[in-house]
Order: sequence, then C-alpha cells, then structure tokens
Amino acid sequence: MTHLDPRRRRGARAVRLGSLTAAATALTLGLAACGAGADRESSTEESGGATETGVTEDSIKIGAHFPLTGVAAPGYSEIPTGAKAYFDYVNENGGVYDRQIEYLVEDDGYNPSNTSRVTDQLVLEDEIFAMVGGLGTPTHSAVIDFLNQEQVPDMFVSSGALAWGEDPETNPYTFSWQPDYEIEGKIIGQYIAENMPDAKVGLFLQDDDFGDDGEAGVRQYIDDQIVESVRYTSGNTDVGPQIAALQASGADLVLGFNVPSYTALSQLTAQQLGYEPDWYYSNVGSDPALVGSLLEQFSEGAVDGGGALDGVMTSEYIPGTDQPDDPWVQLWQEVWDASGEEGELTNYRIYGMSQAYAFTQALMATGPDLTRDGLVETVEEIGADLGGPPLAPFRFSADSHMGISGVRIVELQGNDTEELTPVLVTDIGDAPIEEESSGSADDAPPESGIPEEG
Amino acid sequence: MQLLNTLLSGLTLGAVYAAFALALVLIWRSTRIVNFAQAPMAMVTTLLALELIDAGYSYWVAGAVALFAGLVLGAAVEFLLIRRVDQSSEINPVILTLGLFVALHAAAAIIFSSQFRSFPAPFSIRGLEVGGTTFGIGPADLFAIGAVVVTMGLLVLLFRFTDVGLKMRASAFNQEVAKLLGVRVGSMLTLGWALAAVVGSLSGLLIAGGGLVHPGYMDPVVVYGFVAAVLGGLDSPVGAVVGGLVLGLSLSLVSGYVGSQLVPLAALVILMLLLTLKPAGLFSQAQARRV
Repeated sequence: MTHLDPRRRRGARAVRLGSLTAAATALTLGLAACGAGADRESSTEESGGATETGVTEDSIKIGAHFPLTGVAAPGYSEIPTGAKAYFDYVNENGGVYDRQIEYLVEDDGYNPSNTSRVTDQLVLEDEIFAMVGGLGTPTHSAVIDFLNQEQVPDMFVSSGALAWGEDPETNPYTFSWQPDYEIEGKIIGQYIAENMPDAKVGLFLQDDDFGDDGEAGVRQYIDDQIVESVRYTSGNTDVGPQIAALQASGADLVLGFNVPSYTALSQLTAQQLGYEPDWYYSNVGSDPALVGSLLEQFSEGAVDGGGALDGVMTSEYIPGTDQPDDPWVQLWQEVWDASGEEGELTNYRIYGMSQAYAFTQALMATGPDLTRDGLVETVEEIGADLGGPPLAPFRFSADSHMGISGVRIVELQGNDTEELTPVLVTDIGDAPIEEESSGSADDAPPESGIPEEG
Repeated sequence: MQLLNTLLSGLTLGAVYAAFALALVLIWRSTRIVNFAQAPMAMVTTLLALELIDAGYSYWVAGAVALFAGLVLGAAVEFLLIRRVDQSSEINPVILTLGLFVALHAAAAIIFSSQFRSFPAPFSIRGLEVGGTTFGIGPADLFAIGAVVVTMGLLVLLFRFTDVGLKMRASAFNQEVAKLLGVRVGSMLTLGWALAAVVGSLSGLLIAGGGLVHPGYMDPVVVYGFVAAVLGGLDSPVGAVVGGLVLGLSLSLVSGYVGSQLVPLAALVILMLLLTLKPAGLFSQAQARRV
C-alpha cells in the first residue's frame, strides 16, 4: 500500500470501517447462535419415567427471562426479586409437597435474540420443568414457539399481549397472567367516552403488540375522539418528534402504552416542549415511585417535586403499596422482610410475588404427581376459580389462556391512588364491560400465606 | 409548529452526534485509529460525574472532574494498552478498542450499577417561551450546541495554527518521517488520545444532560456518531459538526414524519449513499492521485 498517496489510503480506511462494523455484528450474531444445539439429556428416561423433566423427589426447577439490564430494566428487574422472595418463603415453610422450588433467572436485556439464547439454556441445559413469568412482548414472542414445541409449560407470561392466551390450540402450554392490553384499552376507552366526551385524545404507543393491542381496545370506544397516534421504537430514547406531533395535533389527553423509562422520557420531553395535556399510562408504565426516582434529578425546577405523576390516570389489577392495610400487601411485606433482601417492597416486587403465588397455587392444585401436562390441565380446569390477590378472576379454560379479566381506573396522587371506577371486567373482542361481581377483590390470603393443597 | 419543533429537536440531537464525531475525528487525525471504545470511555466519566453530583457537588465541578478523568483515561489507554499491541497490522489496535468497549461496559455495570438514573442539565431543559409559544429548544440545548461549536473551533485552531497540532498531524501521517524530523511521536500519540477522550467525555456529558443514563446509554450514539464522522470525512472537525447536524435533522424528520422504527435504517441509507457517491466524505479535500 505504500505506493499509494496517503490521502487515498485514508479514503480506503473509511470504507473499511463499514466492513469492520459488519464483521463485528456478524461475530455477535454468531456467538448468540452458539447457544442452540447443545447436547440434551433426558432426565425423564434416566429416572425410569417416574418423574417429569425438572422435577425430583425433593425439588422443582423453574426458570424465567427478565431484563436485568438495558432500557426495560428499571422496575422490571425487581419483579424476579419479588418472585424469588415468595418462592423462598414457600421453601422455608416446607415447599410444595415436600419439593423445594429452585428458581433460575436469566438476563435477556429486553433483546429477543438474547431471550432465545437464555431460553435454550434454561430448557436444554438446566432442564427446567416450566418457564414462569418470562417478561416482555417482543422478547417472549421469540421463544413461545420453541417452548410449545418442547412442551414446556410457559406459565404466566409477564406481558399483556394477546398472543399468549387467545389461541390455546396453537400454544397449548402458554398462559397469560396480567390483564391483556386490549381489555385495558377497552376499559379506559369506555371511561373516557363516558366521562370526558370532549377530550381530544392522542396515543403514545410502543411500536409492537403492546401498543397495537392497547390501541385496538381504545379505538373500540373512542375512535372518533382520537386526533393523533404516535409510536416509539424501544431503544431509541429520543421521543422529541413523537411528542411534538402529539402537541401539534392539539391532543389534550394522551394515553400511553409504554414501559416505565418511556413514561419518564415522555414527561421530560413534554416539559421541554411546554406541552401539558392530561395523561393516562397503562399499568405497566405507571409506577409513581419508579418514575419519580427516574426523574429525581429534575425534581427541583424543571419537574415539580414529590409525585412526578400527580393527577395521572392509570389502572390497577392487584393490590399494591398504596394499600398498606390490604391483607395481601401485609403478607407481601412479611415475605419481603423475611427474605432479608436489600431495598423496599415495591409494586414490581408485589407483581412478582403475586405471580409466584399463582404458580404455587397451580402446583398445589396439580397434586403430588407433578407432570407438565398435568399442570396445564389443572390450570385449564380450575384456573378461573383460583382466587388469590388479583382484583378480578382469571379467564383460564380449555378455550382461553387469557389472564386476569379486569382492572379499575385510578388517579395517582403521590404514591397514593384515588379510585375513579370500580373493578370492571370484560374479555377480548366485543365482550361487554361489566362491574366485577364475583368478589375476587375480597379474597383474603390463607393464614399460612401459602395456598392450600388441592 | 410541529415541523419547527421536530427540526429544533433534530438540531440538539445533531449537536450531540457532532460532539461524539469530533472526538472520533480528533483521534483519527492524531493517531489514525478508529476508537470503538470512545462511547464507553465517555460513559464511565459521565457516570463518575453523576456520582459526584449525587454526593452534592455542583454540575460544573463534576463536569470538570469528568473532563479531567477523560484526559487521564485517554492517556492511560494509549500508554498502557494501544502502545503495547503489535502495530504491524492496522486492525490490531482497532480490535483492541472493541475489546475495551465490552470490558468497560461490564466494569461500569459492576461499579456504578446498571440502573437507569436521571442526569441533571446545567440549565433549564424547558423550551424557550416567546409570546406564549414554547419552542422545542431550551437553555440546556443552546449550551450543548454552543459547547460543540466552541470545541470545534478550538480543534481547528489546534491543528491548523499550533506547533503541537502540526506535530500531532505529522506523527499520525508518517511516524518514520516525523521521528527523523525530531517529533516525539510517542508523546504526541498519547496526547492525541488524551485530548480525544476529553472531547469524548464532553460529548458524554452533553448527551446525558436532561436525560437518563445507564451503562448502555451511549450505545445508540456510537452508530450515529460514526455515521456523522464518516459523513464529514473522518478528517475534518468542521465536517464532523456538519455531518452531525445533517444526520440529526434528517433522523428527527424521519422519526417525526415517517416512523421511529425507520431511524436506524435511514442512518444506514444515508451512509450507503454517501460512501457510494463520495467515498471520502463530504468534506474531504480533493484527492491527488500519483501516477
């Protein structure tokens, strides 16, 4: 190369930069793909068929994927700490039919290619009995086919997309847990139609099933009130153009179906643009304690101190830290204190505990002869009557694997909430919205704090 | 109004890309290395500044410490790592910076935690109000743009009008000849890395101001900063700033009017078009070919 003019070499180097980046990307993808195809041993055969994969005389091994790092980590990374605290509590008290629950959590950084890799690892190497509470719409979408193909129970996905529960024939092993985004959209849509008929509504949506399902629900009731709908791509933290579009449309009420860090970003950007509409955030994006801590540095001056989300509407479907006298919250407090973990009891930890409680209920109800198919059958049979912390019953049956059937709309004031509606229940599609009447919200936890054997 | 605010938001974004591109240009000009570790180096110094701010120091003290930490970190990386690898192939030090990228990420997650945290801005982030209308640009954004322009000016002065700048360029251009002419090439390379890391730290602070930081917060900027630097020709401070602004404005328009999912694609299309039509960048000098 020495015979070339150095300036020319420079140009060549600039081009080479592109190929280098491509090579680095290919390398990363190659490494990610190496997770698959690992040797697989079947513990079922080894132990003579007496037990199921991941289950022994004295243990049940389960796994989950969560974003412990990255853009979705704030808040969500606390969920598995809550679930672990509850499983530890169950183990301390004798476990489930004398089996200790072993709970493995893998970090996928909210990146679907990582989710595939860690799920391969959990299923093929660690040989878990079931996936419990794997989090995220884009992430879990990457592994739902694999889990069903491998016939691994995929219990209680931590996401409200419809894909988990609307089609049990295709995905017989997958079950939802939280209310799906469509019924949440329907319920807030109806509330707006009845109580704020003159509002000009803007939608702030995550650009995947999360936003799509929420939008579909909302549009059933207030299609004609919606003046603008914008989408953000997870990972792109600049939402200036999206908020500017909402502002320009004249929307005076914005409904956000987004993750918590984007609640903080949308609030910050709105402040920047001097845009002050009313806000509703979907349950998953609205934890005032978390968003408050994200905006902490702006609490003096730019953003008003104290409750960063005061006056914002959201929805609730399990009792949370705003109700310290609720018997469930008292149980969660006891469980959390007993775990000896650092940090306070947060709504995300309560979410993890409530989910872990539902899984323990399902195990108890399945009985001592635990099999994967047995667990699935049990949840289909008695899932709708499980009770537990949710304010509305599950919709589980042989025809539907959809989770909790309703929410109530609340307004945030500091860390407290003010109820705007009673608990309202419905289902996907054009099912009507009705007031919850089964008394699900009045269920109290059993004395021991652990669901009874079935 | 939406167009104006989208453009203003793109301008601020462009300033941020420009700051990062400036650091890349600086290191390229003074050492002929593309530094992939630029972003995590800036991330580390910015998180250090946040620790100081949380401990009660003012933004300016913390910012100064971050810049100084950048200086030390840049010099240390050159002196302890880059200098030690086999330089016979140009790719070796570049691959080393890729390794450093991963290592710094992991170290930062351990030391500073991987939680999202808000980073204060030196001035209000609220948009300027004129006659009851709020524009999508505030004092903090103006500060960022101003800081980038000043830095660009200083770099032009350094390279064009000072002895040190001349020596740095000479060392990068042809080490053998520079050595024969009495330039202490080793020190010049260290200085180049140190200064580049200072500019990198500045870009880290500007990007963080009024937003959320965590160990990965600079990663999107890596891609766009590289595109901006290549747009400008990798060699020209003015080119880097113009490249940054062009990219920021285009991406903001794409995000606001086409769809935010197309932003990375748009950046790559711009890059491909440029590399096809003008491979050496918008601001490269005319190439003399020796025949």
